[in-house]
Amino acid sequence: MKKSGELQNSPQAASKKVARQKVLLGLVGAFVVLLAVLPLFASGFWMRTLTLLFLLAAMAEGWNFIGGYTGYAAFGNVAFFGIGAYGTALSMLRLHFPFFLALLVGAAAAMLFAVLVGLPVLRLKGHYFAIATVALATGVGEVADFWTDFTGGAAGLTLPFFHPIQLSNYFFYYIAFVLVLFGLGLTYFIMKRKLGYSWLAIREDEDAAKMMGINTTWSKVVAFALSALMAGLAGGIYAYWNTFVLAEEVFKIEYTLQMILATVLGGPGTVFGPFIGAFIYYILITLLVFFLPVGQLHATILGLIIILVMVFTPQGVMDFLSGRKRLTLSALLENIRTHKV
Amino acid sequence: MGSLELTQGVVNAILLSGTLALVAIGFSIVWGILNIINIAHGAFIMLGAYVTYWLFTLFGIDPFLSIPLSMITLFIVGYVIQRYLINLVIRAPLLVTFLLTFALEIVIINLATFFWKGDLRSVTPAYSGAGFTIGAVQIPYVRLGAFAISLLLTGLLHVFLTYTKTGNAIRATGMDIDAARLQGVKIAQSYALTFALGSALAGAAGSLISISFPIDPTMGGAYTLRAFLICVLGGLGSIPGVMLGALLYAFIEVFSGIYAPGLKDAIALFVLVFVLIVRPTGIAGKAFYH
Amino acid sequence: MNQEVIFETQGITKYFGGLAAVDNVDMKIHKGEILGLIGPNGAGKTTFVNTITGMLRPTRGRVIFKGQDITGWPAYRVGRLGIARTFQIVKPFLGMTVRENVAVGAMFGHKGKTRTTRQALEKADEVLEFVEMGHLRNHFADQLTLAYLKRLELAKALAMEPELLFLDEVMAGLNSREIEEAMEMIRKINASGVTLLIIEHVMKAIAGVTHRVFVLNFGTELAQGSPEEVLNDPRVIQAYLGEKFVERQRRMQQASPQQ
Repeated sequence: MKKSGELQNSPQAASKKVARQKVLLGLVGAFVVLLAVLPLFASGFWMRTLTLLFLLAAMAEGWNFIGGYTGYAAFGNVAFFGIGAYGTALSMLRLHFPFFLALLVGAAAAMLFAVLVGLPVLRLKGHYFAIATVALATGVGEVADFWTDFTGGAAGLTLPFFHPIQLSNYFFYYIAFVLVLFGLGLTYFIMKRKLGYSWLAIREDEDAAKMMGINTTWSKVVAFALSALMAGLAGGIYAYWNTFVLAEEVFKIEYTLQMILATVLGGPGTVFGPFIGAFIYYILITLLVFFLPVGQLHATILGLIIILVMVFTPQGVMDFLSGRKRLTLSALLENIRTHKV
Repeated sequence: MGSLELTQGVVNAILLSGTLALVAIGFSIVWGILNIINIAHGAFIMLGAYVTYWLFTLFGIDPFLSIPLSMITLFIVGYVIQRYLINLVIRAPLLVTFLLTFALEIVIINLATFFWKGDLRSVTPAYSGAGFTIGAVQIPYVRLGAFAISLLLTGLLHVFLTYTKTGNAIRATGMDIDAARLQGVKIAQSYALTFALGSALAGAAGSLISISFPIDPTMGGAYTLRAFLICVLGGLGSIPGVMLGALLYAFIEVFSGIYAPGLKDAIALFVLVFVLIVRPTGIAGKAFYH
Repeated sequence: MNQEVIFETQGITKYFGGLAAVDNVDMKIHKGEILGLIGPNGAGKTTFVNTITGMLRPTRGRVIFKGQDITGWPAYRVGRLGIARTFQIVKPFLGMTVRENVAVGAMFGHKGKTRTTRQALEKADEVLEFVEMGHLRNHFADQLTLAYLKRLELAKALAMEPELLFLDEVMAGLNSREIEEAMEMIRKINASGVTLLIIEHVMKAIAGVTHRVFVLNFGTELAQGSPEEVLNDPRVIQAYLGEKFVERQRRMQQASPQQ
């Protein structure tokens, strides 16, 4: 079944793989340190770009729980982002909660929604699950748009600026950065535990997982709720950072696609994949926007990147980085060879 | 609501069901035969609508006459996209094909918005407001025409799949790909033709929609969800199933439009999720065309 | 033999649409025995196992394990209670190593609650030694041959430390040396105190390892008894091989009376 270009069979390859992973871990560690001290040098523009990138990485880490590790093609995670954004904004505006408390309320609302919706929807499989999540996200967005009294409808909700304003960039940069690290830590923590094993078992064969004593419903709902936690927190931070919440904006299906793309690009079902993928995606998109007069063709660029990734490396770059595969033309074409008719 | 409104609602629903059946049928054969959900289906419908719009606006071609042109255009578009793109990943996991067609959709919509702008547009031939009445029930000519053409195309598809060699090859591919290959069916060709056919039907649906409703580049997404819902309601895998599903859904749409305007789409989505949840196993499973 | 009944079905029936795939089956499994379940293709053996392990809900009837009514329990609760099974079509966790595959059983099975992840991995090593797959522990499941995949199924089930184990055609597709090994393994498992129900088409194995045999045909009980009785029962032979074979065998016996 396995083709050339993969090294994992032999014991030497295994030790090589471990060594490679250590190098990778070191690189990521150095990178994290770099990011932690970056605000000392970087301009406001770069800090804002990186803040957005971190929020995407955090959402991707969340999507990885349900989509990468548990294997459920969830296409509605933007709903959690939007609910987190509205939950945070409404708590601040209506209840006058301080930001951090409001953020927790927003994230809790997103998780609650994930549990309520997940219980029935996670019984579905394959295409049915995927479409049901698309439908739910679209539906929630429409309700938010329609329910003007509560959400402000098309007028949106306006939040106060962060105070003191000159520290605003630093505040949001670090809080988003901490969220990314939290996501990495959470992923690592879970995947060493029974919950993590249950996700992998469900992804590989749900019937076998059930028969082996795994309460699959519970495991899946937890995965879904944790992905809602990450997206909900990202949504809350985004709301305060942007100081404006609008249904059309925070329920945009493109966000779901971006988090999936980031995960898939980096490597679904790996700890660092979503984080690395988010960087690669942002670098690509920033370069393209810089060199090409794309303007309103942003979505086209996103779409084309997704298409290329799906055709050439749907397992992400993690396979290459971790030494599981060599990066060769033949490895890039392998996906086509195995999947075309 | 009086009985007149009720009767009018029933007539509207029946007329709408024709177009909706056409919307869903191309989606359904692609799903049934290729086992992929084509998220870009709605975008193809939108392209079909714009073909009719531009032919009418630029050259004054009657919208009904432009249907074959719209179908040919979309047939070619569909064939090329399947053969040279989707076919590369056709046997990959669900996430890959789903994401690929999703990306295709946003590319098509984004390009359409870029070149044609996001404005609402309408196709307005001289007879667009005309119709006749039976009792007090109004029947616009364009809706009746759309209904008739939908039935005609659906019937033709049935004849094609049942009585032609190519149609049989397509059905064989959907039932058992290995057996079909042993019978000498060229699978790649069969897939590309099926997808092209599905796209052509989407194009026809788009043309018909453009005659009755205003169009814009983002119109398609709602139709993709409708197509999916109709397949789920009617059961995947048969033309009568799709027609029944379309009829059921048309009633939901028309009457929720009367009772709760503004939440029409949300209601449709709710129905979708509800149906999926109530029959999660009954509707799953490998589908094929009989 | 110990006659204590560990597992019992009463009138188990499963309909698919209007058709009964399993119809009114009463089966008793005694503690410590190896019971063979045989029957022609389509007799409802796998559906029967699916129905009594919680993969499917029975239409009618009761399932009793150690005096407790477990009818309609979800599969994971059945698994945690001490019943494990293998699948006819192997269900390895392909993206996980052999060791991780087996550890899942040790984590969530009968005694899973008492173990940490690390202890479960250690238990997995133990089970892998038992089934003689220790050298493959760090291989990914997608690198195994069919014989090893079948054995992995067994290891995953064993790691759950079941009291009752259902084996669904673990020998199908194996060569005769591999079948001998599998039979030896089954005896070894039974000797360690596990009660077994084995579904098998390999008659040599049924005759060689089971204490008692239960025959299903068209979803209902056709016969049960000792392997010798059952395998020589003309009704069973006929169900398996059809009228023609029975006729031919009769003629052959007439032609060579000394046999």
